Amino acid sequence: MAERTLMERLFEPAQIGHMPVGTKIVVYSLLLFWTAFVLFPIYWVFITSFKSAVDVNSGPVYLPFIDFKPSLHAWKELFVFDWEDTLKAYTNSIIISLFATALSVLIGSMAAYALARIEYAPKFGSILIFVLSMIAAFVGVGVYGVDWRLACAVAVAVFFFLIKALGRFYAARLGNGDILFWMISQRILAPVVVVVPIYMMFQSVGLLDTHLAIILTYAVVNLPIVIWLMYDFFKSIPIELEESAQLDGATRLLTFFDIVLPLSKAGLAATTLLVMILAWNEYLLALFLSTSKAQTMPILVAAMNAGERGILWWNMSVVIVVMIIPVVVMAIILQRFIAKGMLLGAVKG
Amino acid sequence: MTVVLNQITKSFGAAKVLHELDLEVHEGEFLVLLGASGSGKSTALRMIAGLESVTGGSISIDGRDVTNELPKNRNVAMVFQSYALYPHKTVGENIGYPLKIARLGKSEIEDQVRDVADQVQLTDYLDRYPRQLSGGQRQRVALARAMVRRPAVFLMDEPLSNLDAKLRGHMRAELKHMQQQLGITTIYVTHDQVEAMTLAHRVALLEMGKLQQLASPKSIYDDPETLFVAQFIGSPPMNVAKGSLDGGVFALGDDRIGTGKSLSSPDAVLGLRAEDCRVVEAGAGKIRAKLYANELIGDHTLVTAETASGMFSIKAEKEFDAPMNAAIGIDFDPEKLYLFDGSSGARMR
Amino acid sequence: MSDNATSARAGISSPEASLTLRVRFSEWIDRHSRQLFITPAVVMILIFSIFPLVASLIIAFSRIRLRGGGYSVRFVGFDNFSKQIFGSEQFHFLGTFAPISALGWVFGLGVLGLVLFWLFKYATAKFTVLGFLGRVITASMAVGLAFMFAATLLSGKPFGTLGTTLFYVFVGCGIQFLIGLGLAFLCSQPIRGRNFFRVVFFIPMMITPIGVGYAFRMMADTTKGPFSPLWKWVGWGDFTWATDPWAARIFIVVADSWQWIPFIFIVLLAALENVPRDFVEAAQVDGASSREIFFDITWPQIVPVAATVMLIRVIEAFKIVDLPNIMTSGGPGIATESMSLHSLFAWRSLDLGQSSAVAYLLLFVTVVTCVSFFNLIVVGRMRANG
Ligand SMILES: Nc1ncnc2c1ncn2[C@@H]1O[C@H](COP(=O)(O)OP(=O)(O)OP(=O)(O)O)[C@@H](O)[C@H]1O
Ligand SMILES: [Mg+2]
Repeated sequence: MAERTLMERLFEPAQIGHMPVGTKIVVYSLLLFWTAFVLFPIYWVFITSFKSAVDVNSGPVYLPFIDFKPSLHAWKELFVFDWEDTLKAYTNSIIISLFATALSVLIGSMAAYALARIEYAPKFGSILIFVLSMIAAFVGVGVYGVDWRLACAVAVAVFFFLIKALGRFYAARLGNGDILFWMISQRILAPVVVVVPIYMMFQSVGLLDTHLAIILTYAVVNLPIVIWLMYDFFKSIPIELEESAQLDGATRLLTFFDIVLPLSKAGLAATTLLVMILAWNEYLLALFLSTSKAQTMPILVAAMNAGERGILWWNMSVVIVVMIIPVVVMAIILQRFIAKGMLLGAVKG
Repeated sequence: MTVVLNQITKSFGAAKVLHELDLEVHEGEFLVLLGASGSGKSTALRMIAGLESVTGGSISIDGRDVTNELPKNRNVAMVFQSYALYPHKTVGENIGYPLKIARLGKSEIEDQVRDVADQVQLTDYLDRYPRQLSGGQRQRVALARAMVRRPAVFLMDEPLSNLDAKLRGHMRAELKHMQQQLGITTIYVTHDQVEAMTLAHRVALLEMGKLQQLASPKSIYDDPETLFVAQFIGSPPMNVAKGSLDGGVFALGDDRIGTGKSLSSPDAVLGLRAEDCRVVEAGAGKIRAKLYANELIGDHTLVTAETASGMFSIKAEKEFDAPMNAAIGIDFDPEKLYLFDGSSGARMR
Repeated sequence: MSDNATSARAGISSPEASLTLRVRFSEWIDRHSRQLFITPAVVMILIFSIFPLVASLIIAFSRIRLRGGGYSVRFVGFDNFSKQIFGSEQFHFLGTFAPISALGWVFGLGVLGLVLFWLFKYATAKFTVLGFLGRVITASMAVGLAFMFAATLLSGKPFGTLGTTLFYVFVGCGIQFLIGLGLAFLCSQPIRGRNFFRVVFFIPMMITPIGVGYAFRMMADTTKGPFSPLWKWVGWGDFTWATDPWAARIFIVVADSWQWIPFIFIVLLAALENVPRDFVEAAQVDGASSREIFFDITWPQIVPVAATVMLIRVIEAFKIVDLPNIMTSGGPGIATESMSLHSLFAWRSLDLGQSSAVAYLLLFVTVVTCVSFFNLIVVGRMRANG
């Protein structure tokens, strides 16, 4: 066998499937570099939460116990002096993200299941009539100041009347694919597009700054994700299982809860986790919809910036650490599911 | 209970997959729907179960019109090719599921499940999950789940096709025994003629959504009504030769074969089963041929011979041996030959 | 029908199947399950998505005044939009226009030429009215944006929030895709500690954007941040990145990438691991190099996933608001202000009409971009792959 040059020895595999030494070094250094890039900001936030003002302001110190003496003053401030505010925001965040996730996953997976298994064929004309009568109602309320309850009632009445009157004249129908696309495409709406009317809507029914308002909003904002992910999961369940249950006398609802949902555990876990993270971290909508009572953690974090003394980095860091611990723990436990769940959605598109 | 299909048709969009199917299944009968892949067997079965809507015609079970009934109200049980066992339920829960849905008491369910499990020898496996069972055991679970309901009709869609050849033979015998013992009307779909011949009281042969013949296994083999049926049933398939028929004499190349019937047709097909042929010396016999291949099957040798109109298969003694391309003759009893019309495929008698 | 049906279930001796209230109720539910399953989602979307969308449109065409506890609404037509595009807010939305420089002309006309060539090719090859119309919309937006950049960036003037948003979307997503794919590829190699890297690389996605914003502000601090010795060493000790438009924009892209690369990484990694081993092994046996294996075998298999994941990422990237808000408040000036933030600021100053108009412009740009991406790239790819 011919002499191998150094380069060959470094970069050519000795055996198929084996990684040559040189490649190995390159791969590991890249991966380790990225690990550092990912972890360093988190590490920095973490140690900053144990720094005193002097440690922060007098230039960077890096290693606790060596560079500086860790102190719990920031933690104390948050958990002792500001205990009530912190606790309130924390419980708000927990309640809101839990309920919003539950609602979103429930409603979303029911819709996804329906679209995967039941054929819908709404008439295109009916939808057109519906949209037109609703727009008329909005214009009535918005421009001419008609009472909104009256306008809605009239619009619904007009809608049903027109359907009955015109129903015979059009035949074009939409399919499940169109409904699915309509629902998923709602994700394209940036919060700023819809948040002002939502704000006004909740204001007019006196629900501003309540858990309910934020829960409902979060649930809908995340509905497209749930539907998109769960649809493919449900599609991948063999239909014979459901048919068999049906023959055995199970109703659709029972089939759904007793057969279909238990079989989509992986998908449910991934979806739930994803939606929960999004709800937990959401900032813009909460900024609009909560003023004090229903404030969530991200708002609390952002509010740390408001003092006249500039940003109190140590306090800020404590709040961020407190916020990220639960999600990171949860995510590390469940991350396998996430990849799987998202892949299923992504593969099918 | 009887099952009657009256002029059933089924279309998927523009494609018509079942054509005016008439079928009457007697009380306690084991009826096999036999046909090639895509011939519409499963569709017909699923229509009986109520899993597929009916395009035209009507279905009645036990004298009651069920054409538009929901599956659960038809009192039929189905065994799917994939078994459709619920992966997240134990064997016991799987078998007891129909009873649970019917809201039977816990102890009652347990008794009945144990009963049925005894019959199919699954008593020791009740706490296992389907994935912990072998193919044959899964198949028996599916069977038990169907039996436990004591339905009016058993529907089975290729229940044995996922098993290996040996187990299939064993389960076939089991199935037959079970059905005879229970006396429940059974409709069984398969594309395997051996299964059809061994299991059925009567076989219904489907082709392209049309019923070709409905008869007992023996008469469908001995007395096929069409060329298609004749060629579909039997292994190796019936030998056929195209030729013309003039006053009862069939012209096959230069050979003239007396048929013992006084029929005439310019376009006719002669059929002969392999076991009704004999290899004889060249010059003797009714058809001249050239030896093409010999295969020792075990208890006999399968001889393939080239005639003026295609290949013939002949079952010869296992000692038979002759060189390739040797000239031979084929002899047979004129009683045993079948004649079909060349264009319509109908039997000529 | 339900009555005799339930009682006709011989065999199973269901106790008093006859018409108890419960049975009747569950029968009713079952018969209406079609509607039951889908109605909640439809109603929720109608109320919280479609209604606000329409209401927003009305607001975008109106001037709204807060009066006492209520509003007064006056219809003003396209005023809000024309103010953004031609009027006093032009500098904010599109940028400060200057006479187009030579470079600007070259760029603008170059894009125009390319687009016309592309349209011409489509029109002469396989022409459908709808397809052509869609392409004309895409093309006009491309040309419009090209001239916007020509008249601002390439003529020495700053561009507005539209340009900034597009910078975040295209530069940010491009970088994120390349790095995400690279990391996924490295992690799909047979190396030790894959699970460790997988978990670690995934973490940033969990962290609230607010937290990311503040963490990166600390990182970037040239006097007190962890890298300040380094900055001093290279002589940038007193450089404040927050006052330099490009440094600020790039920093936001870095933070955004830190947060979002995990998403692309995790999905592409799953896709890579889903590529059947036999394909790769067959190629290895045939003696293909790893580069050939990647481009000839692996890449075609993950293209659909890659396209989808990028579509999602682009959609989300258009919404960017938290990071610029936290890291720079849109500054210096308006250099890092995204359209979402622009709309938010307009709302803060109680100019609801302007706020909604900007939001709608954002929606328009997003939809045209995503639909173009989907129809031209994803669908095109699918056709190419048969
Ligand atoms: N849901 C459907 N939509 C459209 N066509 C269908 C559908 N189901 C079945 N078909 C068509 O109907 C025909 C009969 O199908 P069926 O499943 O009944 O065949 P089969 O006899 O059971 O075949 P196999 O032995 O392969 O199971 C086929 O041509 C099939 O393509
Ligand atoms: Mg079939």
